[in-house]
Amino acid sequence: MEFEPKIVSFLCNWCSYTGADLAGTSRMKYASNIRVVRVMCSGRVDPTFVLKSFREGADGVLICGCHPGDCHYHEGNYKCLRRYHFLKKYMAQMGLNPDRLKLAWISASEGKEFAQLADEMAETIKSLGPCKVKEEMEIFD
Amino acid sequence: MSQKPKIKMAVYWGAACGGCCVSVLDVHEKLLDVVAAADLVFWPIALDFKYKDVEAMDDDYIDLTLYNGAIRNSENEHIAKLLRKKTKILVAYGSCAHMGGIPGLGNFSDRKGIFDRAYQTSESTVNEEKTRPQTETKMPEGTLTLPEFYNDVKTLDQVVDVDYYLPGCPPQTERLVEVFMAIVTGAELPPKGSVVGALEKTLCDECEREKTDEKVIKEFKRPWEIEDDGKTCFLEQGVICMGPATRGGCGARCIKGNAPCRGCYGPPSTATDPGAKMMSAIATMIDSDDPEEIEKIIDQVVDPAGTFYRFSLPSSIIRKTIV
Amino acid sequence: MEEKRIGVYVCWCGTNIAKMVDVEAVAAKIAKLPNVVIAKDYKYMCSDPGQEMIVKDIKEHKLNRVVVSACSPRIHELTFRKALENAGLNQYMFEMANIREQVSWVHDNREEATIKALDLVKGAVNRVNFHEALDKRSVDINPATMVIGGGVTGLSAALELADAGNKVYLVEKTGNLGGHVANIDLTFPGLNSAAEVLEPLIYKVNNHPEVEVYLNTTIDEVFGYVGNFESTIKSGGKEYELKFGNIIVATGLTPFDPGKISSYNYEKLPDVITSLELEKMLKEGNVVKKDGSEPKKIAIIHCVGSRNADYHEYCSRVCCLSALKFSNQLRSALPETNLFQIYADMRAFGKGCEEFYASTSKKDVMFLMYDQQGDLPRISKAEEDAGYEMGIEFYEKLSGEDIIVPADMVVLMVAMEAHEEAKEVAHAVGISLCGNEFYIERHPKLDPVATTTDGVYIAGTCQGPKDIPDSVSQAKAAAARILASIARGTVEVEVTTAVVNEDVCCGCQTCIKVCPYTAISFDEEKNVSVVNEILCKGCGTCGSACPTGAIRARHFTDEQILSQIEGLFSKEMQEV
Repeated sequence: MEFEPKIVSFLCNWCSYTGADLAGTSRMKYASNIRVVRVMCSGRVDPTFVLKSFREGADGVLICGCHPGDCHYHEGNYKCLRRYHFLKKYMAQMGLNPDRLKLAWISASEGKEFAQLADEMAETIKSLGPCKVKEEMEIFD
Repeated sequence: MSQKPKIKMAVYWGAACGGCCVSVLDVHEKLLDVVAAADLVFWPIALDFKYKDVEAMDDDYIDLTLYNGAIRNSENEHIAKLLRKKTKILVAYGSCAHMGGIPGLGNFSDRKGIFDRAYQTSESTVNEEKTRPQTETKMPEGTLTLPEFYNDVKTLDQVVDVDYYLPGCPPQTERLVEVFMAIVTGAELPPKGSVVGALEKTLCDECEREKTDEKVIKEFKRPWEIEDDGKTCFLEQGVICMGPATRGGCGARCIKGNAPCRGCYGPPSTATDPGAKMMSAIATMIDSDDPEEIEKIIDQVVDPAGTFYRFSLPSSIIRKTIV
Repeated sequence: MEEKRIGVYVCWCGTNIAKMVDVEAVAAKIAKLPNVVIAKDYKYMCSDPGQEMIVKDIKEHKLNRVVVSACSPRIHELTFRKALENAGLNQYMFEMANIREQVSWVHDNREEATIKALDLVKGAVNRVNFHEALDKRSVDINPATMVIGGGVTGLSAALELADAGNKVYLVEKTGNLGGHVANIDLTFPGLNSAAEVLEPLIYKVNNHPEVEVYLNTTIDEVFGYVGNFESTIKSGGKEYELKFGNIIVATGLTPFDPGKISSYNYEKLPDVITSLELEKMLKEGNVVKKDGSEPKKIAIIHCVGSRNADYHEYCSRVCCLSALKFSNQLRSALPETNLFQIYADMRAFGKGCEEFYASTSKKDVMFLMYDQQGDLPRISKAEEDAGYEMGIEFYEKLSGEDIIVPADMVVLMVAMEAHEEAKEVAHAVGISLCGNEFYIERHPKLDPVATTTDGVYIAGTCQGPKDIPDSVSQAKAAAARILASIARGTVEVEVTTAVVNEDVCCGCQTCIKVCPYTAISFDEEKNVSVVNEILCKGCGTCGSACPTGAIRARHFTDEQILSQIEGLFSKEMQEV
């Protein structure tokens, strides 16, 4: 059976979640691998959430926030951006391919872009194969 | 001190440096109080007991065991399980038993990687036959055995049930004495699973350096790169200090020695993953909104995983490198 | 500890969800999760019977937590929270799983969609286990309103509010009231004077005891929350501190710059003008070429910047009718002049508008159709002896021929764009823009003048292109919404703010600079950070920045989100 990755997606309430809803109201079709977790702002996305997702079995994590300059809370997305870069570097050190984590900006009107992003992310993760974090972290061999 | 019957106490080291055992000895003249209150029934570093002596004990024979060191090999695990069986109160003593500690950094590699480095590629090694430690070696006289070196380092509570955690690298002796006295005097003990001998508040609370809200970092610096006035918060000087994410109780010893906190006392109960929390806090302080500049600034942190998880790697969410 | 008793409701949404998600299977499987007391599927959860079912079950089965798996929480979260309240349960003991907008409408494989829906519901159930009761905070509504923009929309809204006896601060960036309507000669379809519409409004506003008008005014930042906003405005070198309970944003439009379309040679050929320039000429009663002579042939090109993927895909909605209006006006002013309408599609919706189109087409006006998808018309200078100034070259769709239309004057019907400073205003008041810079409404159909920020309303062309009647309707709708809240006197505000656990906070002060609303301050005495819950808007960024975990983002706590993640991956019933 073809590998169907699970991708946890943290979406900010104001832009990205609304954008994802718009993809729905516009009946755009995209890959079903995304599992959305709503947060008020991408600035709420604690690196802990990302690592936890991988630990629980996510093959990829997609964080979306408002475009730079458009954050509903002014600059939460920049906080997210900084954490994202730190996380990527940390992931590489831990042997966890940084491409499994993606940060993208999706506005409330970008339903089409969200659908494309979901498809692209699914493709990227499919090409990377299953993420081994969950099984590797098991305490007993 | 009340004339209660003496308690039976054991101290054991797993994958450890010996510093924890020394911290027990550091009670100095209070050692007399300890000996007055407790019989030491097992302490390999100081007293000559054999494993078979422990095996011969009844279950729950020992009142208190301080297990220091991480679980690196099958011997560590075997004795941890043995002591668990024989002990009423098992304390994960010190950073290694608590969170994996410095030996836990071995989780950046695996058994093969460590063996290759230690027995082959290290600069002082000549090993043309590529000899590696074996768990069993047949000799004319019989079979020699060695404990199995595990693929990764585990914390004590990843192999046995732990009653309390007494953190530190090593734990502050004063804290040990407090905890010890609480146990021997029969004081009411905190709920099982608690961290004892440390504060719930993190280090900044007891750190005497001046702190402001000016935590903006344009450039990360190593401690030797700053002209430290001894008063300003390390973070405000661009030096990564684990203080905010690390329990107090150590007396801010490193800070008093003008070195930033490295995190040996571990996280408060409210932080799920101390490294991730600190990474998040530090990233937030970066003074740039430009992706390229952010990356440049982050590149100054040469080893984020080793910095943020120096003592806690095996207990963290991503507890080892994926090889 | 109180036993957790969860009720889960999986909505069919008619066939919207049920045709792509096996809702019965989802409900049946979820019923087996720990703490789930009851799990049902139902045709329309948001209907009265649906809500009544929740209320009844809460009472009968002593439920203390509810999960509804249906549409987006952005649509019905409040509906169901209300149902919980009606049943005497704290409204925050509720979580929604979005299996319509983010599952059934976007996937076409029923099995995959069902698996995904199940995961999302498992996440929601796991999360709701950690929900805690939060008290809504009721705050008094300051009856004053700030209206941003002094065009026909802002004026209408201001009067509606002021006539009901409420203070209005009308803030206008320029030195004049009236906005773009002030530059219009006649309105369509009745060909009435725009001044007749506008002047009484301006007069009333200027003389209304409840309206304070601030011209030449800018707003940097609005603080506070619904019912209690405040802002310092700069007006004519002076600063004023204003306090108000609601805001109507009516910042209007900016006309499209036709210089962006090179084939029209705007500002290169002297007699290529915009619709606004023609309005001015009509208003002055002097339609002449740049050299002062009378144009013998006038062409009007439609959809300049509208309905074109290179510029704006949207329709600007008023240009067709304005162009017809121009034809009428020009026909009367210059009876001998040839008039050409070069249009893409004629859109004459609205009351009296199709009739207006029909009557105009009888007035000796030539209608020619260009291909909006193909090359746009090209305006070039004509030969010296051609007898006209310019030639407009394009493929005429109705005849199927490439033609050149002669013209002495070309009028470009420029598109409406959102106001060039819409973004700055959005930041100041905390609302969002669509991709095309118009403000985004809370719900396109059910709540078109509200925004996702409580107490901030949008009206007029700042929300999207529209004509005067629609703008005024929105202005009055927004005003009516505000009057309703003023009449209630109080409003319930979200309490999903951040809160500091003083037993854990170490006083590192990392959080203080993180807050964009300066809601966090430092208590020197206690050596802890303190969140001002009035200023906090609940983004939760400080919660992620706090290295100790002392800051909790209420309703988005670490344990709630982490448990939701666990739920997404919980082993139970991964197979459908």
